[in-house]
Amino acid sequence: MSALDHDESWQRLDPRMLLVHPIREVGRFLPVLVGIFIAGNAAGGDGTPWELLGVLVPVALGLLRYLTTSFRIAAGRIELRRGLLNRHVLSTPLDRVRTVDLTASLVQRVLGLTTVRIGTGTASTDDDDRLDLDGLPTDRARALREELLHATPEAREEAAAPENARVLLRFDPMWARFAPFTAAGLLLGLGVLGAAFQLLVTLGGGTDELQTGSLLDDGVSLGWWIGLLALSLAGLATVAALAVVGYLVGNWGFTLIHTRTDNSWHLRRGLLTTRETSLDADRLSGVALSEPIGLRAVGGAHLSAIVTGLDRQQQGSSTLVPSAPVGVVAGAARDVLGAPGPVDTGLTGHGPRARLRRYTRALAGACVVAAAALLLVVRAEAPASLLVLVVLAPLLGAVLAEDRARSLGHALVDGYVVARSGSLERRREMLAAEDVIGWNYRATFFQRRAGLTSLVATTAGGRQSVTVLDVPEGAGVRLADAAVPGLVSQFLEEPTLVG
Amino acid sequence: MSGPGLREPSQRVSPRARLVWLLEALVHSAVVLAVLVVLGPVWHVLDLPWWVFALVGGVLAAYDVVVPQWRYLVHRWEVTETAVYTQTGWWARERRIAPMSRIQTVDYVEGALSRLFGLASVTVTTASSAGALEIAGLDKLLARRLVDELTVKADAVAGDAT
Repeated sequence: MSALDHDESWQRLDPRMLLVHPIREVGRFLPVLVGIFIAGNAAGGDGTPWELLGVLVPVALGLLRYLTTSFRIAAGRIELRRGLLNRHVLSTPLDRVRTVDLTASLVQRVLGLTTVRIGTGTASTDDDDRLDLDGLPTDRARALREELLHATPEAREEAAAPENARVLLRFDPMWARFAPFTAAGLLLGLGVLGAAFQLLVTLGGGTDELQTGSLLDDGVSLGWWIGLLALSLAGLATVAALAVVGYLVGNWGFTLIHTRTDNSWHLRRGLLTTRETSLDADRLSGVALSEPIGLRAVGGAHLSAIVTGLDRQQQGSSTLVPSAPVGVVAGAARDVLGAPGPVDTGLTGHGPRARLRRYTRALAGACVVAAAALLLVVRAEAPASLLVLVVLAPLLGAVLAEDRARSLGHALVDGYVVARSGSLERRREMLAAEDVIGWNYRATFFQRRAGLTSLVATTAGGRQSVTVLDVPEGAGVRLADAAVPGLVSQFLEEPTLVG
Repeated sequence: MSGPGLREPSQRVSPRARLVWLLEALVHSAVVLAVLVVLGPVWHVLDLPWWVFALVGGVLAAYDVVVPQWRYLVHRWEVTETAVYTQTGWWARERRIAPMSRIQTVDYVEGALSRLFGLASVTVTTASSAGALEIAGLDKLLARRLVDELTVKADAVAGDAT
């Protein structure tokens, strides 16, 4: 008997959720509990145990939630019913199920439970419209996932065969060395440096002593400098360790598996909270290879999937490969796309005018900063050390501009539109041409004068679009025409006008 | 540069659209001025010299005069058998092309201001939230006809538009 058959009548989630819900609710009510406790004590305490109420209410809420939530799978639809006062029935056809996500928090894992999240690609961002079966026994959840992703029992049997699944990538704990270089790690590091500096300035008695000259002349100040250095290093080491631990906890046991029969991708990761995501390969319209500047400097990258059926709140599960060596990530991208071209092909640059535009934009911003610094020093008697910015800002701007200009590029390879841009957050996006819905050509007055345009390929997955930044207009039209033949060609300028 | 670029869409919007845009611009300008007046002479939060008002007033007046006309020159649209093509904006010009086969909904909206002038806008949406095409400032009757035409054409193409 298939699990689908016995799912036909309305049924509740696993009773063990009765243990999970109160714990969650108490957590949510914790601020209120603390408030009640303090208020009770402050009032002198007339013996009435008001605190008890604060525990009973969450427990009652958890019980109610369990009693009022039920689901069934019948007549080719999955239906979820919940709510006490506002009855809410969510229903979706089984063939609209695009992704199935299994998540188990620590409490759930101890009890052997798993949350099943069913993705249908709805554009709704309302929490109420999400199909979450919060709390099924883990075996049951796995079986349900098989049911949802494979229509027939034969397909399920075939899928269970060991040679069907191919492991593409397994977690290597050494990857954790990249964790401190991700954007979050770098930001934390900067924050720690700033805090250490601030602390020292406060302890050292105000900003006056920050004049570099006087600090270095002064024996006491030298001590402060060494203190600052030690404090910063200790802070950075802590942050790096935290980032590594966070990475290991989030990605431990990461595996990327492809199953042939149903042609889908399965991701598993997590040390405490485990997540298992299954993506239907037909819904995977492309991948994006990101190299934030910190990761790029140490030869790392990460890969995410452009996939329909994952909404914005589930962005985390669209990660295909966490921060890892760029070679590993590129290899996974080749496997997922089924062709090496989009990952390896050299891109067509966007020419001198796009480069010039990167420079003008970066330098204009830098000049504003420099001018502001100059003005502050001259007019407002700010510390002279600010003058460093006058030199540093344009220099950094130029470096950034050069890197941004080099990043720019596009290509159409093996049926994929490839676009790369960015410096601090460089991304190479590869989108299947057949998943391009339409084209937007966006050009400001200055872009038009330079003959450039930003070509946006709109799509239903991921960030909803892939942008080819500052492409020469002719090249942008050719790219769109080659990717989706016959669409833009009907709106071309008369050849005679171009001459 | 290399190869031909895109031409403009063939159809203009209604000339009355300029009046709607002018009214909108005037309202926006009035709000900005009101905020300045309240912050300055009324509440004395900001101590603004008279020339700031003159400058802001001048810029807003120029905006009110130039931008509606500029918009009118830019806003165009075209519907063929297989695609919809729009051009909007003023400083930043945005051209959007969507194939008929990917159209999901066709919306007809009469805004409060547009109604005064017998205008309406038609918005074509696709499965991508980055890909909605809006044609604003169409004559009401024309807009209704366009909605019918688009609905029929989108229906005629097979597929589920994703």
